[in-house]
This record gives sequence, structure tokens and C-alpha cells, in this order.
Amino acid sequence: MDAKTQEIFNAVLDGNAPGAQAAVKAALDEGLDPASLLNEGMIAAMREVGKRFEEGDYYVPEMLIAARAMQSGLALLKPYLKNAGVKPAGRVAIGTVKGDLHDIGKNLVGMMLEGGGFEVIDLGTDVAPEKFVEVVAQGQVQLIGLSALLTTTMSNMKTTIDALKAAGVREQVKIIIGGAPVTEDYAVKIGADGFSSDASRAVAVAQSLLEVG
Amino acid sequence: MNSRERVLAAIQHQEPDGLPVDMGATPSSGISAIAYYNFKQYLGLHTGHTRVYDVVQQLAQPEDEFIQRFGIAAVDIGRTFNESDEHWYDITLPDGVPVQFPVWFHPVQQSNGVWDAYAPDGTRIATMPPGATFFDETVFPYIDGYPADFSDLTSCMPLVHWAGLAHSPWDHASEPDFWQQLRQRAISLRQTTDRALVVVAGCNLFEWGTFLRRIDNFLIDLVADPAGVERLLDALMEVHLATLEKVCHAVGDVVDVLRFGDDLGTDQGPFMSPLIYRKLFKPRHTILNDYVKKHSQMHTFLHSCGSIYKLMPDLIEAGYEIINPVQITSRDMQPEKLKQEFGRDITFWGGGCDTRHILNRGTTQQVMDHVRQNIEILAPGGGFVFNTVHNILPDVPPENIKAMFQAIDEYR
Repeated sequence: MDAKTQEIFNAVLDGNAPGAQAAVKAALDEGLDPASLLNEGMIAAMREVGKRFEEGDYYVPEMLIAARAMQSGLALLKPYLKNAGVKPAGRVAIGTVKGDLHDIGKNLVGMMLEGGGFEVIDLGTDVAPEKFVEVVAQGQVQLIGLSALLTTTMSNMKTTIDALKAAGVREQVKIIIGGAPVTEDYAVKIGADGFSSDASRAVAVAQSLLEVG
Repeated sequence: MNSRERVLAAIQHQEPDGLPVDMGATPSSGISAIAYYNFKQYLGLHTGHTRVYDVVQQLAQPEDEFIQRFGIAAVDIGRTFNESDEHWYDITLPDGVPVQFPVWFHPVQQSNGVWDAYAPDGTRIATMPPGATFFDETVFPYIDGYPADFSDLTSCMPLVHWAGLAHSPWDHASEPDFWQQLRQRAISLRQTTDRALVVVAGCNLFEWGTFLRRIDNFLIDLVADPAGVERLLDALMEVHLATLEKVCHAVGDVVDVLRFGDDLGTDQGPFMSPLIYRKLFKPRHTILNDYVKKHSQMHTFLHSCGSIYKLMPDLIEAGYEIINPVQITSRDMQPEKLKQEFGRDITFWGGGCDTRHILNRGTTQQVMDHVRQNIEILAPGGGFVFNTVHNILPDVPPENIKAMFQAIDEYR
């Protein structure tokens, strides 16, 4: 890894947003390849963040500031990526299911998916099944992520999947689910394609389902 | 032994002559109004009322007959307020369950089915969408950053729904004779019940940060602006110590347990590293514990959800004597492991029955086996008050609650 890319990597890993911006700007000024700055600088750093989280070295605050640093660097990089024709790893729509307003987990998943090179459409909280159907029917996303905190709202994950089936668009997307009461067994039972117990692992699940990364 | 003696023995790590059981002594060891009503109907108990004493979480105040019938060993002194019919009005919850709300609580249902709740000045401070069963916060007073000084803190706190829609006795806290009333009522309860008495005085620190700043901002602050966090925590400590002074003075010689709250865990581990906990929160948690022990006879109880295994040695050092709800489904929170490593140093008030998978979705046989197993792990040598892992939510079938009590009865 060249020195400038390493600077980006380090700034993201340390959650240093001004540092990430400065390093991206310097690298772009030097004419370095935007795609490699994204992949080897930012995505690699967020992969390391995820690894440290899973191993218990990083906690949610460190993950949040790393994601924030990545986002600030990515904002500078995006126009260059677009010009270079670099496509995202995939497009994902995420939201908490109907009746559930608790979004810290969903937001973390969104940040980590962005950190994995995905484009994330955040549908917000208390998202009705019809809204997910609409987004999928428009053909804009390859994956949707459903989140629920409560045992009393998680049943709306099934309602959402059933609505996608009823609308005839279920097969157009992969579906991942997560949230405190959600388990692998539950994912299988309701016909989701994947499950993750935390935001970091969600990236690997998404990559595997979309056969990217 | 009577119920109170059993609770106190358990806290002193002596094995009581029968298992002490809690349901409803705290707002994190209770039962939702819907589940309570359904359970009463199932038992053929058609008299009395389902009174929603914690309106945010929509929790029922267990009635005297219920407490008697199920041998509940601890009660919240807040139940001595709002004791007569005139303090309540009838209302039907969206799923058709008839309950009573306190007369001061009048949420408004919007045309889209959302229920909103308001502060006295008209600010919308909580919301509950269709399909949800409790209210969520809508106002985060310091979302844009910390003020230069915290002179407005006590006026900002009631805009947070937990404080603005406080459960009893705190819904009476603004009354001029509140502290005398609290003392008189606690003494009267002491004289009429042989159960342990609990006072709920949250004094949350980490959680107040998340209420005021919103959780994502506050989590970032922990690493990006620790000085700002410390300024806020110092301001909160002033408020909390003033409250504790009044609580200890009013009921410190009457009540057995003071229940603090501070949710420090996610399912996968603590919200923050133990290093950050030790620097920012532990010294202040220690001060709160020390104050109560120096100025009262009360035992200190911490409610913290999630996986807090990594923080347990520090929580014990900070002086907590009781931990709740013992979320045994979280990472590193297996009851055997907790009992073995910390069972001599802290009392588990919870962990008796998982409410996420077993009590709500298991068969009655699974519930009974699970409850027996947890009791046999956690009860030996004392240090255990039976309670479900957090509140019993509306999705719990009545027959499973009955099965849980049947298994409990084998250990009384």
C-alpha cells in the first residue's frame, strides 16, 4: 500500500474524520486511482474495524467514529468514483419494520455496509411492508435489510416478506434480517436469505448473498 | 422467614428457606398491561383493574390480590400513590384490552393511528406507532451539542419522556408535601406488608447522556469529546445527589432496596470499552453507591440490560449489591458463568426466565424446564431473587406465565 492510501486507512481506523478528508484530498491531488483509494484505503480499514469489533477490541463508539471518518472521506471521493465509472458493490435498502422506532442497530448496519462499498438507501424507521415492496418493484436494490428490536415487532419481518411475495417481487432481491431478538432459526423460518448478529457480520452476509467482495 | 427476610437473606448471600420472587417491584422486573390483563382473564380473575402505572412502557401495577396469590416478595413504594379510583380513568388499548391510565396522562391518537404524548407545555415528547406497545422518545434536548453551562438541565430533563411521563411515585414529585407523603406512605406500607420495599431512583448517567444527546451522538462523544461528556456527567451528578439526599432522608430507614438504572450493554457486549467505563462512569457510580450506603440502610440495585460481563468486576467494585435483569441470552451472560465468577459478590435479581425466546414462544414444558434449570444454577447459597429477564411483554401467553409460577413453586 502506498503512503497516501495508508494514511487514509489509518485515519479511518482511528476515526479521524479531518485526517481522512485531508488524506483523500492529498491522494487525489497526486492523481492516485480513486477506486484503489476506496478499496485499499477505506473499505480495507472498515474491514479491520469490523474485525476488531468482533474480537472485542473495538466497541460501538470506535465503530461509529470510524464510519464517520469514512463517510467524510467518501464524500470527497464520490465524484471521482463516478467519473471513473466505479460501481458500488451493490444497492441495499434498509429499515426498521413497522411498529419499531429503534434504529441504532439499523444505522450501524447501514454504516458498515457503506464501509463495505455498498450504496445504502435508508428507508428509516417504522417502515411499512408496502414501502419495501415499492422500492424493490422499482428495481433499484439487490438486497433489503430488515431490523427489529422487539419481540412484539419482529413478526412484521415475516409480514414484509409475505408482502414482497404477494407483490411477485420476492425473487428480485435478497433479504437479510437482524436485531436483538432475531435468530438464524427465525430467519430460516420466515424465509429470509440471511441473518447477522451484529453490524460487522452483516457486511460479510451481504457480500456472500450478492457474490461480491 | 417472611418475604422480606427472604429477599434480605438472598442479598446477604445466605440461602433463604424459600425462593424470593419479584414481579412488578421495578419497571424492569414487571409485566405489561396487556400481558397482565390476558393472564388475569386466563385465571378467571374478572374483578379489579389493569392500571398502567408506567405509561412509557405500558406496565401494569400488580394488584394486592395478585401479589398475594403469586407470593411476590418485593413491592415498589410507588404503589402507595394513585391508590384510589379517582386517580385513574378507563381507556381501551388499540388491541381491545381495557385498562386504566393515570388521570394526568392523555395521549392523543392521530388520524394515522400513531399515539402521541405531550408535556404540560404542549411539546410532543413521546410517540407510539400502530403495532408498538410502548412510547419512544421524540425530544433530544442537547442533540445539537452541549450548552456552555448546564443551568437549563433541570428544565430540559422533563422534555425527555422517561422524566416527563414518570411513573409513581415521581408523578407526584412536584407536590409541596411530596417528601413527607413519600415517608408516611412508605412507613404505612412497611406496617402492612411483610414484603421487601423498593424505591426506584434511576440516577442514570450513561443513559441520560443518550436521552439528552441521542444515543449515536453520545456514543461518539465518549471517544471524541470526553471533556464534554464529563461536564454533562458532573451536572447530572449534582441533580442525582440532590435527589438521593431527599430519598435517603425520606425513606432510607424504611425501604430495603434502592433501584438505580443505567443500561450499559448491547447483546454483544458493553456499549463502551471497560477502559472508558472506568474513566467516565465508574467513579461517579461509586459516589452514588457510597452516598446511599452512608446515609441509609438500603441495598443498592443496578438495572443494566445486555452483555455486561466485561464490566461486572468494575460494577461490583463501584458498590452495586444487586444486578438486574441478568440478560442470560446475551454474549458471555450464561447463568453458570455469572454465578461461578460473581455469585459471591453480587445478587442476581433476574435471569430466572428468558422472555425473548422461551417465555413468549416456548411450550409450557420448555418454560418449566428452563425455569427449574436457571433456579438450580442461580439460587444455591443465596444471591438470587427470581425474576424474568426484564418485563413480561404482550406476546407472552398466559399459560406460560402460569407454567413459570408452577416451576417456581417447587422451590418455595
